Amino acid sequence: MENNIYIPDLARITRIETVTPLEKIFDISFIEKEAQKKFNFMPGQFVELTVFGVGEAPFSITSNPNNKDKFQLCIRAVGSVSKATHVLKEGARVGIRGPFGKGTFPYKEAKGHNVLAIAGGLGLAPLMSFLTYVMDFRDQYKNLMIIYGAVNPTNILYKNEIAYWNSRDDVSVCVTVDNPDDKWTGEIGVCTKLIPRVDFKPDDTYTIVCGPPVMYKYVVVELEKKNFKEDKIFLSLERRMECGVGKCNHCHIGDKLACVDGPVFSLWDVRNLKEAI
Amino acid sequence: MLYKVIKKVDYKEFVSKLISDFEFIGPVKKDIATHDFVRINDFSKLDINYKRTTIAPAKKILFPSTEVLIQYEIGEDIKISSVYEAKEKILFGIDACDVNGLSFLDRFFSEDLIDEPYFSRRRKLTVIGIDRMPSKTNFSLSMGKEYAKDGFDLFLTDLKDRYFVRVGSEKGNGLLSKYAITSAAGDEDFKGYNKFMDTYRKSFKLKADVANLYDNFEQVYDDAQFWKKIAKDCYSCGSCCLVCPTCFCFNVKDDMELNLKKGNKIREWDSCMIPEYGLVAGSHNFRPTKENRLKQRYRCKIKTFADRFGSNSCVGCGRCIEACLAKINIAEDINSVKKEVSV
Repeated sequence: MENNIYIPDLARITRIETVTPLEKIFDISFIEKEAQKKFNFMPGQFVELTVFGVGEAPFSITSNPNNKDKFQLCIRAVGSVSKATHVLKEGARVGIRGPFGKGTFPYKEAKGHNVLAIAGGLGLAPLMSFLTYVMDFRDQYKNLMIIYGAVNPTNILYKNEIAYWNSRDDVSVCVTVDNPDDKWTGEIGVCTKLIPRVDFKPDDTYTIVCGPPVMYKYVVVELEKKNFKEDKIFLSLERRMECGVGKCNHCHIGDKLACVDGPVFSLWDVRNLKEAI
Repeated sequence: MLYKVIKKVDYKEFVSKLISDFEFIGPVKKDIATHDFVRINDFSKLDINYKRTTIAPAKKILFPSTEVLIQYEIGEDIKISSVYEAKEKILFGIDACDVNGLSFLDRFFSEDLIDEPYFSRRRKLTVIGIDRMPSKTNFSLSMGKEYAKDGFDLFLTDLKDRYFVRVGSEKGNGLLSKYAITSAAGDEDFKGYNKFMDTYRKSFKLKADVANLYDNFEQVYDDAQFWKKIAKDCYSCGSCCLVCPTCFCFNVKDDMELNLKKGNKIREWDSCMIPEYGLVAGSHNFRPTKENRLKQRYRCKIKTFADRFGSNSCVGCGRCIEACLAKINIAEDINSVKKEVSV
């Protein structure tokens, strides 16, 4: 193949699951076996997906990196490309470039420590890649706690996985919603309210956070009240990544680029990049 | 570096031969006030004595305002291919700070990953630079970019009856051997060259004090009042980016033909000064105000690449100062940063 960084590899959507009124999960496999074989990603990385004729947009990979024959994206229909994906049928062909991003979730560094995962809304999707990895090697990590906030019960993503985590005694899960319905018996309110309950030792805990831009400031305040360390808190930052390879500059945050240097940054980095959160 | 001399009487013939044998691009007078780098077929059209900067920077030859990155055909299979231009071109009459602008883009588009659409053109471009007196808004001396050490094949300096020629590449030397009558530069020629360069460096009127800027910039970065004042008149029009020889931001979009079978992935210049620049799906804008955007542009021009490449991306050509409808002046703003911190 030619050496053009803008040429995507062809891939096929093998399965589509409608998970909420807004989101669908897509299983994707490359058409060329070689492309599938060289597609090795780390939790936190993203791809640029082309819907031919519509455009290209960045999406976090949500599946387990140990799964080598396909990968997954969870897509909310909000922009032109994401809306176009929701019209696609199983078997449709798309273009994939990536995986991109040097800044990944600390799946290696966190081994031997507690893990706290905090997700808001669609922010759970990028964390799934990390969390499924941790579950594969569960005995290599200490305590695992997942805090997840959704707008309402129908918008809760990954219900099967949450039920599975709940069934295990080595994972603690707290799900909270802003707007409960009549049947809801769980927590109510934003996910930051649950952080004070975490009783992990700050020095021994890796925290990963993903959610809408507005969420980070409030989460960070709560984590700092508990003395969690800046270099052990990791945030996945969203920006407008047009090219994915550090050329188009749309995702600059201070002196860095979210697509190349991120999209996951430690809180230490975030503090020293201006206007990151 | 190899140094040669070409007599003025031989210069016209040299350039005329290049014009007839190559796709030759050089500065041409467009109207009373402006010059532009365009294709030239006749020596008389070439005007290297332009007083202001050319309206569009030479980057457009390597990085056009709109270009096709890849094309695809949707059928039984989807066929994707690159579209590369394959013509040898000569860019003539570009000044030192603009050569440095090109060198910046060369480095930028090859950092980590090679941008093939850019380099497919760059490999086939011969750059022949020429020294000229600084225009009123040029502050490249302050940015350390008034002199081009490399990034050209030939660089000419006018010594009245002859040109002093710095030969930057084998390709440049080949052109001289084939098309020009030259002699090796001697002591007298170097003396003349030094005299020119001294006068040239003394001719810069606009100065920007960049000492300590790297740290001072961070000190004022969060000062909302300061940036409100600086960006007060900004129209968020993006002119500064369009004329900048080192601005490289672009959008990528798909463009289908009407038969819906063939499509192109194209890129077009974008500007960080335009409100939509930081907008993501879901209507969140990461740079909602003009102050946000202007200070981020300045960061990119006078800070970010000091870290990444060891020298700033701004070459001080002064085009943005000429182009700005609101008379925003980056050199004066650099000076204001220091003043603000020193008060």
